[in-house]
Amino acid sequence: MIIKNLTKKYGEVQAVKDLNLNIEDKEFVVLLGPSGCGKTTALLCIAGLLIPDKGEIRFDDKVVTNPERGVYLRPQERGVAMVFQDYALYPHMTVFKNIAFPLEVRGISKSEIEKKVKKTAELLGISQLLGRKPKQLSGGQRQRVALGRAIVREPKIFLMDEPLANLDAKLRVFMRVELKKLHQRLGTTTVYVTHDQVEAMSLGDNVAVLKDGVLQQVSTPAELYETPKNTFVAGFIGSPPMNMLEGNLVEKDGQLMIDLGGNTFELPPQMRESVKQAEGSSVTLGFRPEHTTLAGKRKENAIEAKVEMIEAIGREAHVHLTVGNYPVVAVTSPAEDLTVGKIAWIVLEKEKIHVFDGKSGKILA
Amino acid sequence: MNTRVVVTRIVLYILLIFFVFVFLLPFWACIVTSLKTDADVFTTTPIELPPSPTMAPWMRALNALGRPLEISFAFTAFATIFSCLIGSINGYVFSKMKFRGSNILFLFFSIGIFIPYQCVLIPLVLTMARLGLYNNVVALILTHTVYGIPICTLLFRNFYKEVPNSLVMAAKTEGAGTWRIYRSIILPLSVSMFVVAAVLQFTSIWNDFLFGLVLLSGSNLPASVVLANLKGTTTVSWNTLMAGSVWFALPVVIVYLVLGRYLIRGYMAGAVKG
Repeated sequence: MIIKNLTKKYGEVQAVKDLNLNIEDKEFVVLLGPSGCGKTTALLCIAGLLIPDKGEIRFDDKVVTNPERGVYLRPQERGVAMVFQDYALYPHMTVFKNIAFPLEVRGISKSEIEKKVKKTAELLGISQLLGRKPKQLSGGQRQRVALGRAIVREPKIFLMDEPLANLDAKLRVFMRVELKKLHQRLGTTTVYVTHDQVEAMSLGDNVAVLKDGVLQQVSTPAELYETPKNTFVAGFIGSPPMNMLEGNLVEKDGQLMIDLGGNTFELPPQMRESVKQAEGSSVTLGFRPEHTTLAGKRKENAIEAKVEMIEAIGREAHVHLTVGNYPVVAVTSPAEDLTVGKIAWIVLEKEKIHVFDGKSGKILA
Repeated sequence: MNTRVVVTRIVLYILLIFFVFVFLLPFWACIVTSLKTDADVFTTTPIELPPSPTMAPWMRALNALGRPLEISFAFTAFATIFSCLIGSINGYVFSKMKFRGSNILFLFFSIGIFIPYQCVLIPLVLTMARLGLYNNVVALILTHTVYGIPICTLLFRNFYKEVPNSLVMAAKTEGAGTWRIYRSIILPLSVSMFVVAAVLQFTSIWNDFLFGLVLLSGSNLPASVVLANLKGTTTVSWNTLMAGSVWFALPVVIVYLVLGRYLIRGYMAGAVKG
């Protein structure tokens, strides 16, 4: 599937702006972003439930949407199946009827429908629920029925709009794994919309991060985590998110450093060339909470910080500190000997730090 | 319960019983009078029990109203079905399909509710005459259907607003066209609304006097008009008139009795989630 320059406006609000995305066959792609970033709009355009203002969508070689050329295939002609956040089960039909509906619409014979519905129900473990109405089902069961209705007709593409958002935390994790397994088994190309970065990272072969209708970055989850293209992606991916400290570039004795106001941090020499590309002198130093160690004593090139709070959450501890006015989180072992209110020194893993342009937010090194 | 609450309760119930009495008095008078002989009507007060009960006025009224009731029933039934069906389709379009000017169009539809019957009387009669439908029941079916569309459209549109859009979107992606979605999803979900709209339409069309009076004549007059004519010109045969009133009111009462529980459910629809 290829999406080219997709643009959609609601009145004055630009929901999606010049979105370009190539989705390979059998790929699981996640559209990730905060609410109102245009991810659902993009999905509805793919489904044909919304007509974009500009741009083109192609399935294989077939153009399904191109408003400039007057091409628009109705949703029923596209061969896509969609799972909605509220499941959109037909309340007056039994589970069997719900799953059978897309087949009935296609005029498939009764015996064939019966066979396919039963097979699908078995695959999802809902065979015993076929006679019930949606009202009599739990959230997780409804979710499965919605999935069943989507997969029963073996569509070319699955579209999923926050399908796990209405489940409780424990069930969400469970269904996430189920979804992944299902995708591995069926191998259907899937576009999945979510605002939950953990869901995105665990499910997606590729993740597309959107903000205000603009695509920020498309990469594998690992790449997104290791080399975010800008401060938005850096701050959105990871839990707790990346720490960012604003500062100014200074050069002393041939060494490039960031003046953080009270602290200076010496950049590794190999970063020198790329960091010098910065538009001005203002830059943002980014480092992940898990790539730090805390020391009780002053250390070379460490950043001085004040310990504000310690959250011991079992396996690890999240230490909340302040550097100047900026909050910083460090993930350490719970055994670390730190005192709230005292000074600590943050030691960074030099290979794991990032420097962003202070103006544009783009990554420099 | 303290005494104050008890006293308020007692006063309240006395008041309520009094009002029940006041409201039921005409019905009582109607029924007892309909069972009196011609002579008794004039020798007793309207609320007194009949000294020698008789069914004769009932038979007389039925004789006069038999065919008019059939005519009334025919156009009321058809016009009710048509206006509800069309209203439901309109409501589906206005609630689930946004198109250019749909809000303005809906506004015009809603204005239709406020057009008084009297306004359209002359053009209506002329149009029907030109169509060759004057003194034809079809004219009344047509008129009442058209007059019922605005209110039915409004009712169904508001009802369908509560149906999640995702249901329609899901059906679309699953391959269903507009009609299929209406038939398989929207229609089965709106049974309760159909009952509400049908009861409203049935009652108002059944009770209509004006359209029946001007569009039909002679042996084709509907029951509402014939009932008024039962009064006669010089003397009033009260017992026959009252018996006729009971006959005339019966279908509406039956509709309410049969569909009453759906009615309450329909009025409540959307008020409570789940």
